Amino acid sequence: MMPPDPASNHKPLIAITGATGGLGRAFAVECASRSWDLFLTDLAPAPLAILASSLETTYGISVVTHTCDLTDPSSRAQMFDRIRDESIRFWGLINVAGLDHEGPFFEQSDRQIRSILRLNIEATLGMIHELLPFRAPLTPFRIINVASLAAFYPMPVKATYAASKRFLLDFSLALREELRGLGATVTVLCPAGMPTTASCIAGIEAQGWMGQITTRDVGRVANQTLDAALAGRVIVIPGGVNRLLQILGGLAPASLVARIIFQRWTSARQKRNWISPAIPQVET
Amino acid sequence: MDNELHNHTYVVTGATSGIGLAAAEILVRRGAGVIGVGRSAERCKAVEAHLHHIHPDAPVHYLVADLSLQKNIHQVADEILNQLAGTGKPVLDGLLNNAGTFTYWMILTAEGIEMQWAVNHLAPFLLTHRLIPALQAAPLARVVTVSSGSHRHGWINWNDPQLRRCYNGLRAYGNTKLANILFTLEFNRRLGTGSAIRAFAANPGLVKTDIGMKGNPAIAGLVWKLRRSGGIPAEESARGIVYLLTEPSIQESTEVYWKHGIPQHASRRALDPAAATRLWVLSEKMCGLDGGNRHDAA
Repeated sequence: MMPPDPASNHKPLIAITGATGGLGRAFAVECASRSWDLFLTDLAPAPLAILASSLETTYGISVVTHTCDLTDPSSRAQMFDRIRDESIRFWGLINVAGLDHEGPFFEQSDRQIRSILRLNIEATLGMIHELLPFRAPLTPFRIINVASLAAFYPMPVKATYAASKRFLLDFSLALREELRGLGATVTVLCPAGMPTTASCIAGIEAQGWMGQITTRDVGRVANQTLDAALAGRVIVIPGGVNRLLQILGGLAPASLVARIIFQRWTSARQKRNWISPAIPQVET
Repeated sequence: MDNELHNHTYVVTGATSGIGLAAAEILVRRGAGVIGVGRSAERCKAVEAHLHHIHPDAPVHYLVADLSLQKNIHQVADEILNQLAGTGKPVLDGLLNNAGTFTYWMILTAEGIEMQWAVNHLAPFLLTHRLIPALQAAPLARVVTVSSGSHRHGWINWNDPQLRRCYNGLRAYGNTKLANILFTLEFNRRLGTGSAIRAFAANPGLVKTDIGMKGNPAIAGLVWKLRRSGGIPAEESARGIVYLLTEPSIQESTEVYWKHGIPQHASRRALDPAAATRLWVLSEKMCGLDGGNRHDAA
């Protein structure tokens, strides 16, 4: 646990994006249980208010919420204006916000593809870039970026998503070196599927025993990742099976891994009554 | 059909299926008024019609609420109190905290609370608190909370009562069922002797319900299907529970934990007064009932 700095009146304050989603909520609760104050942001105001008031009641912390569309630079700018105006200082930033539109690339709309890039990459980089000047002095600034186990492989049916997470993984590793001199650390979380929503649980179910053994509960993931960030660790892969998969995946040629993953996904999706995609073709 | 419970009103949560539905049926057959709480508007409507058919004169009203969120619990408590006030006799003779859930994976509610802890423990705790004024207005009132034999698997780690850091669905379930008994114990202690309200925890036995089936992995559902095949019908279990809710002669009983209307031994951990007090204080804090005092983490 981070000892409070006796020289400052400020309590640890952590910013969390995507705070009302399954993993974001778990991070928020885990931080709150360590008595850290929170700055929570997400798209919708109502869920933020519900979570904030419950965390304040239960853990006696202060929570600031800010509704923000992170994919919109002007919405982000408004948030940072507020941070500047209120002189808020942060001990850490957890970039959880991210999204995927699962399905064959060819069937996705331009808008869907763009939203993945905007949120997973642009917004995450924007958050780090714009929040760094507001880090608290005299204390190490902890950044946690949520990538995915998908960051290690080319993943058919999640092609854009997996590549965006690969971007975050490589970016985080590079940034970490750049920030050493500033007393900031970067930790990148690469989890497998987590049972946060009914559709996630259905997806895990469809993968059968593989889904069972690769799945880790969010609370444990959040707890383990915070400890890792405090220890300044680089990559967190929750679950022994997942670490093994990452190592094995690294040994095989990427093209072969992609083929195996596609076969596995196809059979999993068929179990969910999902017909193999008919890729639309232009008449020749 | 008889009317021995005419002019009595009971609140039953989780009242659209399983034990809750069976208990509501028994109460209605005996002429009692029932305010049922269920999650699905559709099921609530169907069950309301079904109960009306059983006893056309018994006042039955169902309210839709998802008890995993405290916001909703406050709302439904207001609705119940309004409903009672509307009858001109704001009196509640009993509350049956029956709604319960099992989740294999750790799910956090929108309020950031582990789902089983929220539904199985905090919901009865908070709803009971909110309904105390109406319960106290009755000559004899009961709060019956459906616990389980699996409370014996429970062991509350006070550093992590919701098991966020090492979640195991069955242990989390056991913890909430242990919490039901500890809540009952402490509630009676705080009410003191001579109170109009008496609380009991019920072991429903192994009952043929769908609790293990809803939204859990196929394997967990399969295990539950096998287990429940040796179970008793919900009606049989509900009889013992309605007994705890309605039988005047046990008002002064100091027994806490009952199965089929007979006092049973609860586990040693379930009868630990210090743990019961500690849980109470923690639960008050988690429900914002501690007068705004802020304490350490849950």
